Amino acid sequence: MEEKKSVLKAGASLLRDYLVLVMIAFLVLITAIIEPKFLSGSNLVNIMRQFGPLVMVSLGMTFVIIGGFIDLSVAGTINLVAVVTISLIQPMGQLPALLIGLALGIVCGALNSILILSSGALTQAEALFLTFGMSTVYSAIALLYSHGSTMHFWDISASKSIFESIGSGNIGFFSVSFVIFLVLLAILWVFQSKTAEGRAICLTGGNKTAARLSGIQVSRSIIEIYVIGGFMAAVGAIVLFSRITTAAPVIGAGYETSAILAVVVGGTTLKGGKGSVLRTVMGVLLVVLMSNCLDLLGVSSYMQYAVKGAILMFAIWLDNRKQA
Amino acid sequence: MDTVQSEYILSIKDVSKSFPGVKALDRVSLDVKRGIVHGIVGENGAGKSTLMKILSGVYQKDSGTIIFDGQIIEHTTPHESMKRGLAIIYQELNLVNTMSVGENIFLGRFREMKGMRGTHAKAKELLDNIGSKVSTTKLVSDLSVSEKQMVEIAKALSFKSKLIIMDEPSSSLTNEEMVELAKIIRQLKAQGISIIYISHKLDEIFEFCDIVSVMRDGHVIDTKPKPEFTRNELIMKMIGRTIEKEYPGRSRNVGDILLDVRSINTRKLHNVSFTLRKGEILGLVGLVGAGRTEIVRALFGADKVKSHQVFIDGNQVHIRNPKDAIDAGFGFIPEDRKIQGLVLPFSVESNISMASIPKFTKLGFIQKSLEKNIAAQQIKSLSIKTPSTRTAVNNLSGGNQQKCIVGRWLEISPKIFIMDEPTRGIDVGAKYEIYTLMKEIAEKGGAIILISSELPEVLNMSNRVLTIFEGRITGEFNPETTPADRIMSAALGIVGRES
Repeated sequence: MEEKKSVLKAGASLLRDYLVLVMIAFLVLITAIIEPKFLSGSNLVNIMRQFGPLVMVSLGMTFVIIGGFIDLSVAGTINLVAVVTISLIQPMGQLPALLIGLALGIVCGALNSILILSSGALTQAEALFLTFGMSTVYSAIALLYSHGSTMHFWDISASKSIFESIGSGNIGFFSVSFVIFLVLLAILWVFQSKTAEGRAICLTGGNKTAARLSGIQVSRSIIEIYVIGGFMAAVGAIVLFSRITTAAPVIGAGYETSAILAVVVGGTTLKGGKGSVLRTVMGVLLVVLMSNCLDLLGVSSYMQYAVKGAILMFAIWLDNRKQA
Repeated sequence: MDTVQSEYILSIKDVSKSFPGVKALDRVSLDVKRGIVHGIVGENGAGKSTLMKILSGVYQKDSGTIIFDGQIIEHTTPHESMKRGLAIIYQELNLVNTMSVGENIFLGRFREMKGMRGTHAKAKELLDNIGSKVSTTKLVSDLSVSEKQMVEIAKALSFKSKLIIMDEPSSSLTNEEMVELAKIIRQLKAQGISIIYISHKLDEIFEFCDIVSVMRDGHVIDTKPKPEFTRNELIMKMIGRTIEKEYPGRSRNVGDILLDVRSINTRKLHNVSFTLRKGEILGLVGLVGAGRTEIVRALFGADKVKSHQVFIDGNQVHIRNPKDAIDAGFGFIPEDRKIQGLVLPFSVESNISMASIPKFTKLGFIQKSLEKNIAAQQIKSLSIKTPSTRTAVNNLSGGNQQKCIVGRWLEISPKIFIMDEPTRGIDVGAKYEIYTLMKEIAEKGGAIILISSELPEVLNMSNRVLTIFEGRITGEFNPETTPADRIMSAALGIVGRES
């Protein structure tokens, strides 16, 4: 009896841990049965493309959340990086534009962390408001910079081969953006789980006070998570506008919520400390598949918002249950 | 079940409860008579709190029966048990700080009380009844700890409680406040209300209780009327072995000056200067809020400091943050284990290793096997009781959690070990182990700054004692030759510095 109970319990906790995978499998199965188009080559390419930008942003967000914070500024960062990078291709050449774009992401992230540290806003709730404000600031700069207009690849006469290959090139079987994703995932995974800095970030997220009193440089961890968050948002921005070949100053709208959704659904706790970039990849997969499936099943995009919201709430509820 | 009043208000039979990896309660049976004070003693982790949480409905039991006031209780919630007449007053009081006393007592029942006027009138009646003069319109955040306790008791009475459980009620009370509490307990008893009194402090158990139960490792070991217990027997039953004395004796290895602190000034501290010698245990005595904790936090770089100079072995060191302090040779056990010391959801291993990360890092990469060795070695040498290195530290008892923090610092062998309330909330057996460790550290030439609210602890462990009052050092004493009351009056700011 006792043993049976404990087996059941273990099974339940395993199911909880891999709920996302189960849900993905379930979703794929149902959709494939109802709508055979789901498994068509063009749809799978479509899924991969949607996956690219979101997974980049979500990987960065994972670090911020593991570190015990949150970053709503990614939408603004994406807007700003996209319009600035695309506008610099013509005057400066594509490589400098790319590097400046990435650097801009780092600057945005660093700015967030400096604001948080200098204002002493060391709770997740305070960071939520602060980065929300910063998102507005970055978006506003993007709008001012671009005069609100959308920029297109076809207006650029200079070479833009790097961006074109990020957007639509392939390396063997994989798209270039997917290879970039794999490389960054590997680096971030090693950083998070194998290095002392990664451990410091986890401890900071687990208990800032205790971490600081044990000699962990909490401020450094906070700067690191936001810099990673900003950098990955910049990568996401570049992948995004390279794919759609245009950059509008509102291109990043909604990415912050989708990224948080993906991280939490993946199983990284919003309370900080515990989680993994690998889990986030599963979370992103679920989010992307879900919207693809709902598209195919003809569910309106308004309804999709409702579904997304419901899933986020369910994931947070589950997360809280796990803690108890 | 017959509802004729039985002799017992509460009868617990064969109740078991397991948590992952821990059997917290193993077929526990306990009967509480009406109108008496029933003491429950036991080490941390003995299962007292778990049992109480099952009674109140915070946890659900795995098996067994509970009969309260003639009714079998299956599933319950904290609110239901309150309504049934079973109230618990937790160590960390559960009041809403931003609301008034009256509002807290009748929280969520204002309508039953016919609005706020009725609420305050009824609250005043209840408070008068227990002899408390707290104004019902005062905000709870403005109350002292003992006044808050009164409010909790009044709240319990407002539910016409038949049984009130008090979980470590005395842990943050002053002596005068204890007298008040004793009075109230007697009054409640006179009104026929049963009380379960949980405490580590044997003095209180002997003073208040009629019947005493001892719990250990999830079992009730013994239940007897108080007069049949002796103090030693109680201790022995609690820890399952005999200890001859409460303190291991002072270390006698005081050497040269190691630490020289000159004029710490912060918002709360004024010109605090002192020295610490090798092999010395220096006790800081003072009231809560006098500045004891502020001194060590300033020293450790945890708080902002206006000015101070710190010399170690004659060389000036500049400490701006805890990391600087650790590099300079400090270790620090903070006063609040769960909030400042541990990362509760993390494993025992990572909690032990967190101050020595550089030790098992090569080129920025963590060497997992080295880390595991470090943890395993500390677990062994401090005999930390844990199912494995990977167990969440949250699942350990208070004493074992504290030992994890001690181990964390021993791993980097600090020259100066700051211990702020190192034995708070841990049981007699673990306390003795911590004392022994302190003695060993000192005998090996390490120096310790000890802060404790338990005066006997400071007086019995320290080589030298400083008294702190309102942010100033008011005296320096040899605890072996100075009577305790003299030290206490210096800590209360009554007499000046001993020449």
